[in-house]
Amino acid sequence: MVTNGGDPLRFSTGDGIDILASKEKFINYRFKAVRSPSVPNFHEGNYKNLNSSEPILASPIAAQPNYESDRDTENLVLNSEHDGTNSLIDLYRDEIVHENKDSNDSEEGEIFTRKEEEIENSSEVEQAFSGSPSKLVSVMDNAEHFDRYGFRKQNNFITEGVYNKWWEGYSQYCIRRKHKWVMLLEKSGLSVDNDMPTRFPPRSEKLKRYVRKGIPAEWRGNAWWYFVRGQEKLNKNKDVYEKLLVKMGDLNDEQQRKKLIDLDVIERDLNRTFPDNIHFQKEQFQNKEPPMIQSLRRVLVAFSLYNPKIGYCQSMNFLAGLLLLFMDEERAFWMLVIITSRYLPGVHNVNLEGVNIDQGVLMLCIKEYLPEIWEYIYPKQKLENQHKHDSLNISTEVLKNEFLFKLPPLTLCTASWFMSCFIGIIPIETTLRIWDCLFYEESHFLFKASLAIFKLCEQDIIKDKPLHKTLGQYTLPNSNRTSRYSRLSQDDYDMEIFQIIQSFPKRIIDPNDIFEKIIFKKRIALNRLDQQEIDRCRKYVSNQRLKYKNYKDLIGDQESLKKTTNRMNNNINIINNNNITRESNNNNNSNNNNNNTSSAAESLMKEINMTNDLMNDTLSSEVYGFKKGLSSVHWNNSIKERVKQMRRKREKDYQT
Amino acid sequence: MGNSVSKALGKLFGSREMKILMLGLDNAGKTTILYKLKLNKIKTSAPTVGFNVETVSYKNVKFNMWDVGGQERLRPLWRHYFPATTALIFVIDSHDKDRLNEAKEELYSIISEKEMENVVLLVWANKQDLKGALKPQEVSDFLQLGNNLKNQLWCVVGSNALTGQGLVEGLSWISNNTAKK
Repeated sequence: MVTNGGDPLRFSTGDGIDILASKEKFINYRFKAVRSPSVPNFHEGNYKNLNSSEPILASPIAAQPNYESDRDTENLVLNSEHDGTNSLIDLYRDEIVHENKDSNDSEEGEIFTRKEEEIENSSEVEQAFSGSPSKLVSVMDNAEHFDRYGFRKQNNFITEGVYNKWWEGYSQYCIRRKHKWVMLLEKSGLSVDNDMPTRFPPRSEKLKRYVRKGIPAEWRGNAWWYFVRGQEKLNKNKDVYEKLLVKMGDLNDEQQRKKLIDLDVIERDLNRTFPDNIHFQKEQFQNKEPPMIQSLRRVLVAFSLYNPKIGYCQSMNFLAGLLLLFMDEERAFWMLVIITSRYLPGVHNVNLEGVNIDQGVLMLCIKEYLPEIWEYIYPKQKLENQHKHDSLNISTEVLKNEFLFKLPPLTLCTASWFMSCFIGIIPIETTLRIWDCLFYEESHFLFKASLAIFKLCEQDIIKDKPLHKTLGQYTLPNSNRTSRYSRLSQDDYDMEIFQIIQSFPKRIIDPNDIFEKIIFKKRIALNRLDQQEIDRCRKYVSNQRLKYKNYKDLIGDQESLKKTTNRMNNNINIINNNNITRESNNNNNSNNNNNNTSSAAESLMKEINMTNDLMNDTLSSEVYGFKKGLSSVHWNNSIKERVKQMRRKREKDYQT
Repeated sequence: MGNSVSKALGKLFGSREMKILMLGLDNAGKTTILYKLKLNKIKTSAPTVGFNVETVSYKNVKFNMWDVGGQERLRPLWRHYFPATTALIFVIDSHDKDRLNEAKEELYSIISEKEMENVVLLVWANKQDLKGALKPQEVSDFLQLGNNLKNQLWCVVGSNALTGQGLVEGLSWISNNTAKK
């Protein structure tokens, strides 16, 4: 039963051989795509000797999770190395043949031979697994529930049926894109050797577009590594990872474990990293730790030793875990170093200031590019209400930027988008597309993607009529009673928005939803955002936050400030009155004490006023301006031209 | 639409809404509890970076439950966002004896904050299914809530997020003890 993986009837019913053919390809494609991302980890056991625990080399567990369906088993067991006979490249060539000749004959023959191979090999497969037939069956049963990276297809938001239906189309898209990539590389004189290209064409608009449409899954590890200039980093730091592993020492040694400060925290998260991914799961009925978990531990502990300023921060387990699915340990380690320094500076630091800065930047971006949503996140009236009764002379102009310091509650949600680079926030294929762009286009793409997600659910956020009403209530002039009521409404509203922002992204199963609907549409304003803007914006927010912080530190919170000023005012009034009487009496000598208090109070008042002035001066002149204007118009025109060209070309293609 | 109908019905039958904050050390089982309550499903647990918010309806009460995750260093991010909470749920991993002290410290540091003055406190002594886990009574003795809490009503309930044991009991305790307020 197990070995009868072919089961051609399942596919040939109804539409006959054609469907069988395409399914065959489809499955083989899947099989290869599954293999490649995880291959490096199991074939490059460079570090196995440094650690006394389990080797990371290929083991039955390592190979087994790759089974995608019954019929893949044979291929997998027999061709555990790339042997070329069934490789993706061949597959794509098949595709081209299919497209060009439009004939079924050749394919029929091919399938026939494949069938023969399978039957031939079946006995060997049986032998290979004769030890544990029951386990095999269970893995087989399970295999179809996992995607090409080993993640379970089904979750709370997407059923397996929906996934499969989408994947049927999307896998075809992937095949088409892969073909284009191969052409691009060949045209650039780069080799696609063994389906593992290590060099990619120089940066260009065309390459950017290619990246945005998705790097072939099995090339991702190498492509990311190339785009972030990982090798450069590695060459500068030869042996560093190895030394870190030596420093880490034997993790089975209790004494040694105690020396590693972050180990406990890391340890708690290891088995909770991608529990839905087959590579991170324990083999059934066994207690042996999967090699992937061991690699993950080493990378995270090594990182905590490498950068004690960061140590270990939750979400890094996901970053490292995903990287490990695409590259070996050492590269994953350096990628993690690069991500946490270049793309998410300060985000994982102990003080979390990087998170807050990025959230401030994101809020500024929403305000600029999605003003309608901004209204819901941070209604204007709220601001005015909040400070209406403040006795302080800080103009609302200044407080316009207060949200950079007291971040809106929504940032509770979006902070995790950045910290984990969307892992677990949106479905995996979409996450990976964003990663492709992140590594090619740098960190501004995280903001762009976030804005795109907001843009996609804009309607959901805005259409909610009752929401509008609650906001209206919120903005009522406040007596005590209404303000309490409005606070509840604000909660309701938060709740609604949170639920949308929390669950909407989990349904973006198709990356093209983000890309085709938003990112590729140049007339959508948010696409003006570029790296320069984000760099500038980050600096600005960081400065503003510092100023607010200093201000708060100096003055204490506003409540106590108000009290102090009032008290001081009273004192000064009293003192002044005293002084007047005193002056009129011309009797200065006996009032030294009073004078002293008076001057102290005055100087404090002065200080407070000065700070307020300072705040007004420094902050009001610094409302952030996004760059706009001619460059983007120019850009739009050039894009329009290109789109026209493409259309013409496509029409030609259709005609021929 | 279904939402508005249930809202209307809720008004007729005097339903209430309350905001509940669920805290606890990492790996205590907060998210698992939340999704057990919400979906009656066991979601394979992954560390919560950020938080989950779900509405759980029980009898006439709508609980807006905020499951705030994150290791110690991430807590400052969310600390100040929850002023209007009705009840605080603190989840404890009854099996992790090494971290009980840490949990206790965390609990007291939260409950002593000004915003928490009027909350009711439910402690779920979670993971009761594990062998060697402390019994709810033992957890309660360890926390010494009776000696230390002056303002807040409190209760310790044993729970097992996997089977759901103790979860409904906990919520109904909250709903019973907030009704009078």
